[in-house]
Amino acid sequence: MTIPTPIPMLNLIEIHKFYDRLEVLKGVSMEVKKGELVTFVGPSGCGKTTLLRIIGGFTNLDSGEVILDGQRIDHLPPNLRDTRICFQNYALFPHMTVADNIGYGLKIKKWKKNKIQERVEELLKLVQLEGLGSRMIDKLSGGQQQRVALARALSLEPKVLLLDEPLSNLDANLRLTMRGEIRKLQERLKITTIFVTHDQFEAMSISDRIVVMKEGVIQQVGSPIEIYERPSNEFIASFVGFVNFLEGVVERVDIGLNKATASTPIGVVQFVPERNINVGEKVKLVIRPETIQISQSEPTGMNNIFQGEVEIGMYVGSLAKYTVMINGEKFIIDQPNPRETFFKPKEKVYLSIPENIHLLIKTEIHQ
Amino acid sequence: MAKAESYSVPQSNVWERLKTFINAELINILAAILFLLLAIFLLYPILAVLIKSIRDPQGLTFAYYLKFFTKGYYFQSLQNTLLLGFINTVICLVVGFCLAYLTTRGPLVLRKPLKIISMMPLIAPPYLFAISLIILFGRNGILTKAFALNWSIYGFTGVVVAQTLAFIPLAYLMIENTLMSLNPNLEESAYDLGASEGRIIRTITIPLLTPGILKAGLLVFVMTIAEFGNAAILGGRTPFLAPDTYTMIIGEADFEMGSVLSVILIIPCIIIFFLHNYLLTGKKFTTIGGKPVASEPRKMTPLVKIPFLVIGFTAVFAIFISFGVVLMASFTKILGVKNEIVFSHILNFDSNRAIYNSIQVSLIAALIGAIIGTLLAYVIVRGKFFGRTFIEMVSLSGFALPGTVIGIGYLLAFNTPPFKLTGGIMILALNCVFRFLAVGVEAGISKLHQINIEIEEASSDLGANFMTTFYKIILPIMFPAFIAGFIYTFMTAIVSLSAVVFLVSPGFELAAVKIFDAAVYGEIGLASATTMKLVAIVVLCMMILNYLTKKTGFDITQKKGV
Repeated sequence: MTIPTPIPMLNLIEIHKFYDRLEVLKGVSMEVKKGELVTFVGPSGCGKTTLLRIIGGFTNLDSGEVILDGQRIDHLPPNLRDTRICFQNYALFPHMTVADNIGYGLKIKKWKKNKIQERVEELLKLVQLEGLGSRMIDKLSGGQQQRVALARALSLEPKVLLLDEPLSNLDANLRLTMRGEIRKLQERLKITTIFVTHDQFEAMSISDRIVVMKEGVIQQVGSPIEIYERPSNEFIASFVGFVNFLEGVVERVDIGLNKATASTPIGVVQFVPERNINVGEKVKLVIRPETIQISQSEPTGMNNIFQGEVEIGMYVGSLAKYTVMINGEKFIIDQPNPRETFFKPKEKVYLSIPENIHLLIKTEIHQ
Repeated sequence: MAKAESYSVPQSNVWERLKTFINAELINILAAILFLLLAIFLLYPILAVLIKSIRDPQGLTFAYYLKFFTKGYYFQSLQNTLLLGFINTVICLVVGFCLAYLTTRGPLVLRKPLKIISMMPLIAPPYLFAISLIILFGRNGILTKAFALNWSIYGFTGVVVAQTLAFIPLAYLMIENTLMSLNPNLEESAYDLGASEGRIIRTITIPLLTPGILKAGLLVFVMTIAEFGNAAILGGRTPFLAPDTYTMIIGEADFEMGSVLSVILIIPCIIIFFLHNYLLTGKKFTTIGGKPVASEPRKMTPLVKIPFLVIGFTAVFAIFISFGVVLMASFTKILGVKNEIVFSHILNFDSNRAIYNSIQVSLIAALIGAIIGTLLAYVIVRGKFFGRTFIEMVSLSGFALPGTVIGIGYLLAFNTPPFKLTGGIMILALNCVFRFLAVGVEAGISKLHQINIEIEEASSDLGANFMTTFYKIILPIMFPAFIAGFIYTFMTAIVSLSAVVFLVSPGFELAAVKIFDAAVYGEIGLASATTMKLVAIVVLCMMILNYLTKKTGFDITQKKGV
């Protein structure tokens, strides 16, 4: 799936971490390529922040290795690692000015005063805070503080930038803006970045690759498209966006025609078998709401047409959301551009389910 | 809310209208009564001291003050006191910081034991350390004899050591508190940016703790200069203000000079009280919220760890040894001289009677103190009358005022009618009530801040008048605070010495005074045994508090450095 690269910038090998008896990381392994933005996402308690803190050196691992640019670093304290972190609460030093905050690490590295000044100016420009160097931290807005934290973390040109839920303290609009800016900055500087968030949509929109975690185990690593369209289990399928699950038993597989059918509570569903399956196997079909077409009259010349009844219809403007019952099964459907045809409850409608459905096999289904 | 009821006053008889009036104005009436009590039992005695110091039979005079500043002895006393306060504060802050750093950032195995021993002085009267120093370094002291030391513990150094040990927990607790509230990400960020541990402490931790450290310092300073027992027992020929007032009044019956010394002692205390309350409020560094992250243990660098451990262990060792020798002395004929185990000190009749008297006085004080404290807290938090902050200030000022001054004040104020109280048990109890009022008031205020005023509003919305709301809603909710106030007042009252030493009458001795006398006359065994009995009582109170805290869920053990 991933194209092999010469040396990964960051390599995590079999990382285990216990808090008392509780194992919060159960052997996590993965690679991050140079210049890549990778997001760790998952519900709270999944271990994503712990993993980030282990990379940064703030939390000790119990076993495993952290390799940065070919060198093992897990025994080093944070001040000797070439990684820099941006904490969720920014952790800006409140008793210092913006410039002193950004220049803190440079001063420790014994840079000359005028060099520090130059570099700080450059960084302020980078994060669009020119002229605010002499401000105190508490005189800045939340978004500005976020930029200062970013500039401070970038000051020493780290090999890996670690961002711990950097946007969670901003209001919704600012969050969108900053999301775009962080991505732009990251692409411009080509800096390897690890971004931790619990927000799936944030993860989807900013990342080169997403690492979905749950209970200390990596569930799937992939591009946003892979994660969304080919989730590797039920948890991921329902974690990212809404999904209709349809249980079924494989009835027929025709490899030559690249066709298969499964019998489900709503009838026989035809699909393109994207993987090896056997007749009689139990499967779960993953059907996204926006892939189902809804119409008043029966579409012709298509497979997988089912008749149902609208239970709830919600007009949201850009789309309409319906709950439609087919044979006692509930389906959620997103209808784009509902201006002309908005269906009301009790209306009879036809649903057309696409044939290229992602499906989950037994081991990927929750019992 | 109470006001709104007067809206619908029906035109009825006088009784009904009076009842409505009382209901509407109850909180103001209560405030007036409480203020009157504060005026009589706190402001008036202080005023009496002030007046005494500037009046002679001919009228206004500053002759006594002139005498103070011209006669070398008195001035020396002031100098010593301030120097003692300064040295003590610096040592306590340094030790307190090291201990607090170790118990919040240091090796996990050391955190708990260090914390427990650091706080041990809280359960003992401060003069325990004077006694322990006499046992170790006195003329017949164990170490004096073992190493044939030829220096005397009596004097400036002895007082500094005893006071330092006594006030370490105060500094420690306040600094630990601020250290724990410091967002750990700040230090981690500095670490991340390449700073070493020493540099983090220097550039991040200490600058951010400055307000807290300053507050702790002011408090230690006030406590030190006002503390009577250690300086009186160990001072020897070195003059200090607090014990000098005692000698002046009790020894020489020179009330005028005694008052002057008191006023001089009170000035720095009042200045600091204001600094503490008004200049430092709000001076806190605010940071963007986020999930609070627990400080994760990290390896301390030897460069920091070793000096911190040396300082911390020295202090903790000294505290531990002090308790140990006083405990041993309680069961030994004369520790270091005649090392036979005896129970005569523990069973001593006079000592037990003094303990009994102390319990009696402290129980009365605790009951009155808890009632007044709870009511005051309510009035301060919910009242909307003019002068509310003044009442708050006065009721909290008791602990900032040196005990000796309040003692003299009571002696002067309640010696003649209309308030003739001297010689009785009530004057001792009332003295404790108003000196330690701050504790009950603080507990009440913090409890009230936890409950929404809407609960009371809901009650009146459902038809209850103020009286009903007070009995059915406010009192039950405030009950934990009442209990906390009660136990704290009891605990503080039973060990307090500096004020009651002026007020005890012959034939009714209190434990603290008994210990003081015994220590001064060299009856160390008796002094130690009585002290240990007080320690046992305080420990018992703490256990009750702990139990109640667990049961009610309201943290009544949190207090502001009293």
